[in-house]
Amino acid sequence: MFSTPDSACAEDTRQQAWLRRVAHVWSAMPRFALVFALLVSGVTPVPGSGQADEILVLAASSLADVLPPIGNDWEEATGVRVRFSFDATSRLAPQAANGAPADVFLSADETWIQWLDERQIIDQEQARRVAANGLAVVVPQGRRVPLDAEALVGIGRVAIGGEHVPAGRYAREALKASGVWGSVEGRTVVGGSARGVLEWVARGEVDAGVVYLTDALLEPGVTTAFIFNPTSHPAIEYWAASLRRSENPTAAAAFVEHLSSPDVSGVFSAAGFSSGAMDAEAGPAGESLQPGASPAGPSITSAIRLSFLVASLATVVGLLPAIGLGWLLARYDFRAKPIVSALVLAPLVIPPVVTGFLLLTVLGSQSALGRLLSAVGLPVPFTILGATLAAFIVGMPLYVLAVRGAFEAVDPLYEELSWTLGVPPRQTFRRISLPLALPGIAAGAVLAFARSLGEFGATVVLAGNVEGSTRTIPLAVYTLLESPSGRDAIWVLVGASVLISLTALTGYEALSRRQRGRRLEIDHGG
Amino acid sequence: MAGDSFRGWELAVEVPLATRTLTLAIDTRCRTVAIVGPSGAGKSTLLRVLAGVEKRASGSLTMDGGVWLDSVAGTVVPPWDRHVGWVPQEAQLFPHLTVRENLQYAGAPDADVEQTAELVDAASLLDRRPRRLSGGERQRVALARALLASPSILLLDEPFSALDRPRRVQLATDVRRWSEENDVPLVLVSHDEQDTEILADEHWHLNDGIFSRTATGPPHDSSAGPG
Repeated sequence: MFSTPDSACAEDTRQQAWLRRVAHVWSAMPRFALVFALLVSGVTPVPGSGQADEILVLAASSLADVLPPIGNDWEEATGVRVRFSFDATSRLAPQAANGAPADVFLSADETWIQWLDERQIIDQEQARRVAANGLAVVVPQGRRVPLDAEALVGIGRVAIGGEHVPAGRYAREALKASGVWGSVEGRTVVGGSARGVLEWVARGEVDAGVVYLTDALLEPGVTTAFIFNPTSHPAIEYWAASLRRSENPTAAAAFVEHLSSPDVSGVFSAAGFSSGAMDAEAGPAGESLQPGASPAGPSITSAIRLSFLVASLATVVGLLPAIGLGWLLARYDFRAKPIVSALVLAPLVIPPVVTGFLLLTVLGSQSALGRLLSAVGLPVPFTILGATLAAFIVGMPLYVLAVRGAFEAVDPLYEELSWTLGVPPRQTFRRISLPLALPGIAAGAVLAFARSLGEFGATVVLAGNVEGSTRTIPLAVYTLLESPSGRDAIWVLVGASVLISLTALTGYEALSRRQRGRRLEIDHGG
Repeated sequence: MAGDSFRGWELAVEVPLATRTLTLAIDTRCRTVAIVGPSGAGKSTLLRVLAGVEKRASGSLTMDGGVWLDSVAGTVVPPWDRHVGWVPQEAQLFPHLTVRENLQYAGAPDADVEQTAELVDAASLLDRRPRRLSGGERQRVALARALLASPSILLLDEPFSALDRPRRVQLATDVRRWSEENDVPLVLVSHDEQDTEILADEHWHLNDGIFSRTATGPPHDSSAGPG
């Protein structure tokens, strides 16, 4: 399996052999290592904001197609880089309240602006109305088109946004005002966001959906049936405000002003938005707009690189704890063992979102620990550190299980023999237990790496969905799902994701077989 | 026979096993002791207790005048400070190291390694991996590794079981000579009468934890008896 040349010096030979063994394990995955090296090189951890020439904008997901070009233009004009994190306003606002290192907040309604003002996150006085939108009913292409709200009574399932999502609230109001809510309510399917609803309609999963006019115009897979009368629902207004905690307040305020300037309103209206609150019915017809190509949508390479970086960091950071815990659980009996074991395994069965929430509670800006970490320059929420931590915690159970199994596969007799040869436990661990368990430990690392790559739930809660900092492959896919122009990019990411996972699992299987081979070798040795 | 200085060993321990508690008591002044008896009598456990790797053992053990275990006083000499040359029945060689690395494990100088490898007729095996050795070759290397640990006592558990007859006699004779030349006492567990005849002056029969001197061994120290 391994060959070791003769050497006059016993200690050197052992160290060389050990290093060669490590190298051997890694060389079992040459392609993996190459891809890894290529992707990780050139990636630098980007903290949220705080750089003088950069601002981070949290924006409602219905703006995902119109904002990036505006940001690009502004970036070119001012030299200040603009990064976006798109999600439902209802999810972004708590992130902002929990200490997201953002500079500007773009809400899909005024209520959340008020909510943030109450929490001293923004100053409502300084908020600007930047655009308005209409509410439309869409149906899958080729299906029967209801001409007005009354016609919805005769239609099957109707998708609307959740009741805390602005789009969902507007939809309920509009359906109630049109007098059909009583009939439609029993047939509604509630989606997470306006874009999620659109996706269902485009796939024909539902018979109709209530979405923003701009989204309806962007999605080629749907037909816009009619637009609700703007008086039937509260004004759909987008509000921009700079965050009080912005480390770049001048640029943040300037960007807010820019968004509400006449230069930009043209871009908004070209995308189907209107600049005023009460003229939503003036939206252009569907044919006049091409489905928007989103030049600065979630970057594929950035997502893949970031995923590798976060997963590698989590794997490396987790190595020593996994070895320590695996060894402890494999070789020692103590009263608290069931508790330690349960705590280690807990993230395997606790929903990742709950894990993320607990981490956010302990490490968020509301907690003393979180404030302390922030003060020493290591803020956890919405940073790459948070994404790594989430991946680390969620990957830990598999890591420890694999390492524990590897140590359990090492016959304790070898350790006892080593002791009687005058080598105390610590050196025995280094010279016997660790090398014999190495393939299994490497298998655990690969498994933890693969799990970290797929981590979503805890990451999105603890670290948010920030391009370049925390938007890993799963979050990028999630973001693209909500963007009608994201089809092709999704498939690249889905392909990458499946490929990486299968490669990792193949590596895991090979390494596990090697560890089992060790075991057979040992059994055979009697 | 050299080394009248050896003060013998005295053992009185209890070992809680899965199904029963094994009581072992023996007191001998003899330098070379063979333990015989049926399977499951506790022979291997006795060697583990002497080696210090049987953590469950409680009681007392005095070896050549030194206290190795005294549960009442809380004294335990750990295995790495006992300097025993233990050759257990199974899993003898470290599978990730070459034969040479196995022999060097306890830190013996190269010259000693070569010399001891010659003694057990394993000089040609030095650069092999354990899995490429036959059962008999493994046993010889494991024995050499124990000899190279500068042991204060040799603990041999069926050390020649995989060897053919002529080689077995030869190796037993060599080990006996080595033990006398280096003034190292030994305890042998074996089913083989020839092994025990060659290697040990005193034969003890162990049955369910009870020791009794057997008639087969040549009388060495008639004052010693079951403890």
